[in-house]
Amino acid sequence: MKRLRLIFLTPAAALLAGLFVAPLAILAVYTVLTRGAYGGVSAPFTVENWMRLADPLYLAIVWRSFVVAGVSTAICVVLGFPLALFIARSGARKNLYLALVMLPFWTSFLVRTYAWMFLLRDTGLINTMLLAMGVISEPLPLLYNWGAVIVGLVYGYLPFLVLPLFATLERMDPALVEASADLGAGPWQTVWRVILPLSAPGLRAGAILVFIPCLGAYLTPDLLGGGKTILIGTLIQNQFTSARDWPFGSAVALGLMGLVMVLLWLHARRGGEPLV
Amino acid sequence: MKRVLAVSAAMLFAFLHLPLVVLAVFSFNSSRLAVWEGFSLRWYAAALRDGQLGEASANSLVIALVATAAATAVGTLCAYGLWKRDSRAIGVSLSLSLVTPEIVMGISLLALFQWVFRFLGVQLGLHTVILAHVSFCLALVVIVVLARLRTMDATLEEAAMDLGASPWQAFRRVTLPSLMPGIVSAALLAFTISFDDYVITSMVAGVDSETLPMVLYAIARRGANPVVNAISTVIVFGLGLLIIVSERLRKA
Amino acid sequence: MTRRRTLFFLGLSGLAGCTRGNTPRLNVFNWSNYVGDDTLARFEARTGIKVRYAIYESNEEMLARVMTGNSGWDVVFPSNYFIEPMREMGLLARLDRARLTNLANLDALFQRPAWDPALAWCVPYMWGSSGILYDTRLADAPRAWADLWTPRFQGRVTMLDDPAEVFGAALKKLGLSLNSTGEAELRRAQGEAMKQKPLLRAYLNAEVRDQIVAGDIAACQLWATTAQQAIDAAPHLQYAYPREGFALYADCAVVLRESRRAGLAHEFLNYLLEPEVAAGIVRVSRTATANGVARRMLPAEVSGLRALYPDAETLERGEWFQALPAAAQLLRDRLWTELKSA
Repeated sequence: MKRLRLIFLTPAAALLAGLFVAPLAILAVYTVLTRGAYGGVSAPFTVENWMRLADPLYLAIVWRSFVVAGVSTAICVVLGFPLALFIARSGARKNLYLALVMLPFWTSFLVRTYAWMFLLRDTGLINTMLLAMGVISEPLPLLYNWGAVIVGLVYGYLPFLVLPLFATLERMDPALVEASADLGAGPWQTVWRVILPLSAPGLRAGAILVFIPCLGAYLTPDLLGGGKTILIGTLIQNQFTSARDWPFGSAVALGLMGLVMVLLWLHARRGGEPLV
Repeated sequence: MKRVLAVSAAMLFAFLHLPLVVLAVFSFNSSRLAVWEGFSLRWYAAALRDGQLGEASANSLVIALVATAAATAVGTLCAYGLWKRDSRAIGVSLSLSLVTPEIVMGISLLALFQWVFRFLGVQLGLHTVILAHVSFCLALVVIVVLARLRTMDATLEEAAMDLGASPWQAFRRVTLPSLMPGIVSAALLAFTISFDDYVITSMVAGVDSETLPMVLYAIARRGANPVVNAISTVIVFGLGLLIIVSERLRKA
Repeated sequence: MTRRRTLFFLGLSGLAGCTRGNTPRLNVFNWSNYVGDDTLARFEARTGIKVRYAIYESNEEMLARVMTGNSGWDVVFPSNYFIEPMREMGLLARLDRARLTNLANLDALFQRPAWDPALAWCVPYMWGSSGILYDTRLADAPRAWADLWTPRFQGRVTMLDDPAEVFGAALKKLGLSLNSTGEAELRRAQGEAMKQKPLLRAYLNAEVRDQIVAGDIAACQLWATTAQQAIDAAPHLQYAYPREGFALYADCAVVLRESRRAGLAHEFLNYLLEPEVAAGIVRVSRTATANGVARRMLPAEVSGLRALYPDAETLERGEWFQALPAAAQLLRDRLWTELKSA
């Protein structure tokens, strides 16, 4: 038995070591090297790249990314909870509804973002329709602002919240809900006092699955935000392209990984649903 | 309460699907702009004629199929191994790889391929893209399969072994068949994510590995192009059909 | 059943492994819209060489792909200010001028360019400027960069999403060189850009083309090549060479050092230099060719496009982009991050 288990785990362990741990280790080495004059890395060793992370300029970017990711996650929670509850209670049509949640994710992420640009532009569908109906006389500035970025992020990651939350809600013992009703709680009270606390682990797992990609996102903020601001993802991307500063880019990337690990650790310590 | 839930769910479904519906409708518009001019299939014809798109679709399909097959095989075995007895190191690496931001993963893989593969004299290409895709699909497969395993009765295998089956036979004949639905969903998820990936792919792609998302992005960046709408509509319907058929097969 | 499926997947991965055939093949990575419809087919027919052609949209994107030195590409087309960095990084192969018999066809402007006077590393291919594209239905047309700093364009103007271009325009507005490397100059340019940021709709590259054609945007900083496409789509647009001066760039063909087919690559470069070929390309692409003989072969309505070919007097105000020294690059990226962060 023991041998079989070893055989079963070896391929995955080898893949993880070769394609996940080793690449991160290489990045870790990059962070203590010096930036090459035109990109790449060169000797000597230095800790300067890590020191630069403490610069208020970059801290402000990290903070802004946290706010954006936090707001997007909060909106996902507010929107995703009723949706997950609705699906969990829909009996036989559950699978259909779940498929409907996943459907938009079969088109390219980029195409979905462009669809939003198409909707939000001055001469886009929403403005054209509102103008034609005479609701507004000037096109509303819908694109290239924080609102558009957050709409894009919420749209992109909502299913990551709905799926784990649905799994938790579905496993919940219906007797508990009935007991709450028998003890005289109204439906809202039951949701607030019973269902919400009991679904906390799934909610937290879903929130992590939304928060972290939002934190590292760079295409959505760039395309929908019109490049007027900068978040961590764009900062990393820039270091590897226009700034050609690989060591600093690696340091920011690993710093981001560190934050992610802290979040996971907190989640595990609070007895959250394990992600794996 | 029930009404409120149903109404909010309906609104959310509208939010999720509105952009797709708009996309599909305007893929039939004869004009290039956001104004409806008339029904036309010209963008579909243009998409069909485009050789680059055809090649990229074929690449995407090969990459997604091979990566899905590999990730599903390795991931299923791994999930089974973890179900038998948890391994902290593997569990932690898997959770981490699941939540690693795409940009970080892409850059680290690029660094790997740059050093190791150049040293070995290997060029970037389809194989590097496939390796990258296997790497980010693995954790997803393990999660989905493991979730299914956790709902299963471990005593069944024990019973099989009591009746004289070897551990391998118990896995092969008892657990694996009842695990199939979980494996199929995992494979579908991996396929979807692999087929859609842009950020990581664009970093590790070489000469013969332009994928569909890369070509779509290149086209879209040159300006709104209804050809993109047409292809996306085809993909949604194609993949949707695939999933419906596989659901049917699973039930049959 | 399962075994059959395994075989199927094995077969697929085998298929993926041997996409590289045996016919000689050249891998060319170029900007979009830089070859004609039959340019590659005619080269293939004449030489029997297959050309694998793909496109990119920015120098950074191209560099990121070929920087590893095992990308598989043979010929790429960096802009002039990328030649020196790429050469320093050991990515470029020295050209064998004996095999480039058509070099003499280049315009006088490109016979001894500042970035590679001996043409030892690159062959200039297309060139252009970055100026202002605007809607002529506006009351008074922008003539200078300073006009893009005025509130009359509030929310209806965009700049390119590129530090070299934005700071370049600001430096020109201040009467300084595009290629200033001093901290004081760059900081002053950043100050100008900061003042302009609240007026901007966004920082957009090629995406702006459709928006200015559709009327979302009234004026934008844009590359002449893209501007010409917009003008072709919407005749009410016009391209202006700003009064204070403007940036010039040239996209040049280079052979990568990693190329295992340098001979074929030279043959391809020499083919692109043939006047009929070069003229055939720009007749379709409507970009500015660096090939002087080819330009003289063009019909007047193409060779006279003002957005593509500035007259001698205008050209005086242009300044070629240069590669930034490492320290200035670091500073500029920091200033750019500050600007974006503000």
